[in-house]
Amino acid sequence: MAHSDDSPAVQITSLNKWYGAFHVLQEVNLTIPSGSRVVICGPSGSGKSTLIRCLNGLEAYQQGTVTLGTVPLGDNARETALARRQTGMVFQSFNLFPHLTVLSNCTLALRRVLSMPRKEAESLARHFLEKVRIPEQADKYPAQLSGGQQQRVAIARALCMNPRLMLFDEPTSALDPEMVKEVLDVMTGLAHEGMTMICVTHEMGFAREVADQVVFMDQGSIVEQASPMTFFTTPSHPRAQSFLNTLLH
Amino acid sequence: MQFDVAFALSTVPTILGAIGMTLLVAAVSCVGASAVGFGLEVVRRSGGLGGLFVRFLIDFIRATPVLVWLYCLYFILPFYGIRLGALATGIIGLSLYYSGYLAEVFKAGIDAIPNGQGEAARALGLGRIDMTIFVIAPQMLRNIAAPMGNYFVSILKATPYLAVLAVPEMLGRAFDIASETYRYAEPLTVAGLIFLGLALLISLAIKRLEVRLMGPTTR
Repeated sequence: MAHSDDSPAVQITSLNKWYGAFHVLQEVNLTIPSGSRVVICGPSGSGKSTLIRCLNGLEAYQQGTVTLGTVPLGDNARETALARRQTGMVFQSFNLFPHLTVLSNCTLALRRVLSMPRKEAESLARHFLEKVRIPEQADKYPAQLSGGQQQRVAIARALCMNPRLMLFDEPTSALDPEMVKEVLDVMTGLAHEGMTMICVTHEMGFAREVADQVVFMDQGSIVEQASPMTFFTTPSHPRAQSFLNTLLH
Repeated sequence: MQFDVAFALSTVPTILGAIGMTLLVAAVSCVGASAVGFGLEVVRRSGGLGGLFVRFLIDFIRATPVLVWLYCLYFILPFYGIRLGALATGIIGLSLYYSGYLAEVFKAGIDAIPNGQGEAARALGLGRIDMTIFVIAPQMLRNIAAPMGNYFVSILKATPYLAVLAVPEMLGRAFDIASETYRYAEPLTVAGLIFLGLALLISLAIKRLEVRLMGPTTR
């Protein structure tokens, strides 16, 4: 599944973004090699969701550059669309299309964006539904599924487009505790297959097990970037220390 | 003068004979008003100069009586070389007029869709047109089936305005009978009852549609 390529999956350089007067992203620099798993954490309002939403053009930014693979995101709508096509995104609130069955949720973009014939799209969708372990739900509607099942459909829907990079924006924050594991298991499986992943999450167990880099953000800046081992045992920045303390207690 | 039931019944075939015209005008106008109204709303959402113009147009439409529109289309446009038949004028007039109202309904229906739906569509790489057709419009229809049905009933009830253009619809027929016989109560009552029946049928159909559109919402 991993696309071999020498260029990093994501290169963020001097990224700055303002909401009006509020400087939400401040001089963010980040390089994410292909095949790596990055967990972004930090207190709410630190800009972590905004950052990953900048990576597929859901948020505009005022300064800096974001390059996905070799394609720079930017004003050029065609390049942005191309870059976006290489990126899958999973949202906190699932954002499945409620009027479509699980199968149609997965096939819509295949058919409309990639012009794939119905049969081929459906068999591909079923393959990924199997992968997230809910093939039997294909003909149901999202409202008939549990939160954990819906989020797994959302992951399958994104995987159908064969992305080079998966973005997860707090994928388990809206889930009941007993459903968190089934979603994290799917994500862990993806990581082991070599998918490049960027996850905004507070699931520190997942970060410890799966991530090869933990990025800690506070007030719009990256204040610490380390391996999970270093981050969890000897965080250097006082804000990271106090953040970890609040999570553990 | 007493209400004469036998006379009333005798007017039914004549008035009912025009039900086809009434339904034709109403149905085509509903489709036309929905299509134009949706187009207006899409342009209004895209912003820019076009959006501003459409905003003005929608307010303008809603602030003018439908009869004025019909008269203008039928009696004033010919001065500029545009000559439409009475039926076409009536349908175009009702479609344009109600498109302004339906655009407002569509707006409410789209506003009620969570932002995440558009974001998910964009994240999947869907273009604007595909997103509108496959993600936004179906959810919008779900949200607005009831108010949209109300406007369809309004359009049905507005078809008698076409009498001023001499389109032979039901109320026009009723008036013809009245002016020939000098009895107004019976033909107008009959026409009114037929309209009532049609309106109830439309409401029922919309209720059914609403249930179907909602689909399964619980586990």
